Amino acid sequence: MAATMALPARASAGSRLRRFLFSQEGILLIAIIVLFVAVGAYNQRFLSANNLSTIFLGNAYIAVAAIGMSMVIVSGNIDVSVGSLIGVLATISGTIAVSGWPLWLAWTLPILAGMAISAVSGWLIAYLRVPSIVVTLGMLSILKGGLISVTAGAWINNLPQGYHLAQLRPLGVPMAVWFMIVLTALAAFWMRYSGFGRSIYAVGGNAEAARLAGIDRARTVFIVFVIHGFFAGIAAVLFATQLSVIQSTVPPNLELTVITASVVGGVSILGGTGTVIGSTLAAILIAAIGSSLVFINVSPYWLRAVQGLLILLTVLADLARRRKRARHR
Amino acid sequence: MKKTLFTLLGLGVLLGSTSAIAQSTWDGGDDLPTAPLACDGTPGAAAAKEYDGAQPTNAPDRAGKQLTLVDIPKLIGIGYFGATSKGMQDAAKELGNVEVTTDGPTKANIDEQITFIDNYITRGVDGILFAANDTVAIAPVLKKALEAGIHVIGYDSNSTPDSREWFINQAEFNGIAKSMIDNIAKEIGEDGSFAIVTSTFTTPNQARWIAEMGAYAAQCYPNMEWLETVEAQEDNILSFNQASTLINKYGEDLDGIFGMTSVATPAAAEAVTQAGMCGKIAVVGLATPNAMRPYVKADCVKSVVLWNPVDLGYAAVYAARAAADGKLKPGSTELEAGKLGKLQVVNGSEILLGPPFVFDKSNIDDFDF
Repeated sequence: MAATMALPARASAGSRLRRFLFSQEGILLIAIIVLFVAVGAYNQRFLSANNLSTIFLGNAYIAVAAIGMSMVIVSGNIDVSVGSLIGVLATISGTIAVSGWPLWLAWTLPILAGMAISAVSGWLIAYLRVPSIVVTLGMLSILKGGLISVTAGAWINNLPQGYHLAQLRPLGVPMAVWFMIVLTALAAFWMRYSGFGRSIYAVGGNAEAARLAGIDRARTVFIVFVIHGFFAGIAAVLFATQLSVIQSTVPPNLELTVITASVVGGVSILGGTGTVIGSTLAAILIAAIGSSLVFINVSPYWLRAVQGLLILLTVLADLARRRKRARHR
Repeated sequence: MKKTLFTLLGLGVLLGSTSAIAQSTWDGGDDLPTAPLACDGTPGAAAAKEYDGAQPTNAPDRAGKQLTLVDIPKLIGIGYFGATSKGMQDAAKELGNVEVTTDGPTKANIDEQITFIDNYITRGVDGILFAANDTVAIAPVLKKALEAGIHVIGYDSNSTPDSREWFINQAEFNGIAKSMIDNIAKEIGEDGSFAIVTSTFTTPNQARWIAEMGAYAAQCYPNMEWLETVEAQEDNILSFNQASTLINKYGEDLDGIFGMTSVATPAAAEAVTQAGMCGKIAVVGLATPNAMRPYVKADCVKSVVLWNPVDLGYAAVYAARAAADGKLKPGSTELEAGKLGKLQVVNGSEILLGPPFVFDKSNIDDFDF
């Protein structure tokens, strides 16, 4: 099941490269390079350090959220409430920060809260077997409605000095980008090599085979949701610490953007396949497309159309690959 | 190999088609006719329109007598309507023969607002001031008030004209447009270049303001360059990203950014701040003082354009007094409104508050909304 990335033991360098280029990750990497070269040729400022920083910093939280989302989708589920969850957790973070508590609490409590909230969804899905789309749709309404009722849309201002974690730049690279790179690498490694990581693929790919192999489906799904809450929490902290104010609302369409990153990253909506490297590359690609639309004077309205097109192309490619694999068997 | 080629081809087509669309640039304005104001600030000639409000039936003669007014805003407990309420108290104190109470729902809910109005009709008051949660749904209960001989004056958010006597209009589109362009001209000069960050294509108010801004700039600052308009929805981070991208794209060629919403304007200010371009790129926009306070205090933003809600409430009480005294009646062309001077009657039964208010470092701390 985890065969997408597993390479034959003694593959030659050439066939390794070919395999990589055919994989979703390879295609995305090529697409990103083509896009940067093409738009950079059209307007050099697209490649300026400032603009690269805008592209990466402004969207790293989406890539981080997409890591957890990818695990959820690989396990054969989905979470449409992630945008509302991030909105709520960002508000929690900001509220803690302005009420004078230590900053490290403002950075860590939202992550715990994210895990707790996501654990509730995960429990309903894993143990009561309620379909994830139903549970998370309900959760979306609860979180969104609750947030608006509690905050009445009031923004959080006057955030204390030093709160803005995402704006720090160790070694000249924005902190949010460090989080994106390190978390993607760790999660990719963990999903591929740890026993639990592989059981996520097993549960999502073929639940019956997983059961026969002695994998506890319910426990796996529950833990996946808790981990997803962890990544949503980090994403929320990055989101909250990026600007001087926190909007205290749910960012429009955020869940769609996160799910799009996962799906375009090659995580099959049918479960069982995909990697978080793919979803992070897809998040970068979508962000770069968004920025390039401004550079080539196209209304950002097209971003959604382009996102939709990318999803369709990816799903078609996924189907084609599945067919090819089936034929070879 | 075929598949990779195919994918690349697809991407190529995609890029190709998007640059084809680029030819017809969207500027964010609508196609309705514009009415730019005179560059020197002479008030626009109000197109004569017949009075289209409604008068209370069998209203007792209240001229010069003590008035009991009730103010029912969209909701209470927020800074904005706290400010309108303060203006009403100021006016009542000045007039001496008016008493105003503010009461209303704690959520912007039309059903609750209707209940509040209904209760005050039963209790008996001389006048009702309102800011409607819904233009149409509020009309029947207001008509009921008029039939009971109560004066009905709207402010901030209108009802249908046939359900109230007068409406205090806080700002007309061309007035906002003039203030926005004039204020940015002060910072970037008459030949500066600017870009606009707006919410979406389809928000009617923003599209109207942008169209009027374009018309006014073309008329009064022909050398000013309007680079482009970008859409950023009502999303903080997207607005920030879009404004940052504009700064990256134009570099030295960008002198100013307009924010068209209370989300876009602070996000644009944040982008300019984080890019270290305060003082080099001006930000002017429509926003509430609370959202802009940090940037105004840091001297990164010089002018925030909106109206003054204190003045809005103040004018509403003066209108109610004048209507009760019989001084403001169908056919009137202006309202004598105390310290605000003479306010113009426009659009049949609306009273224009005057030019928009500009929040700056000197006054922003007087407001909390």
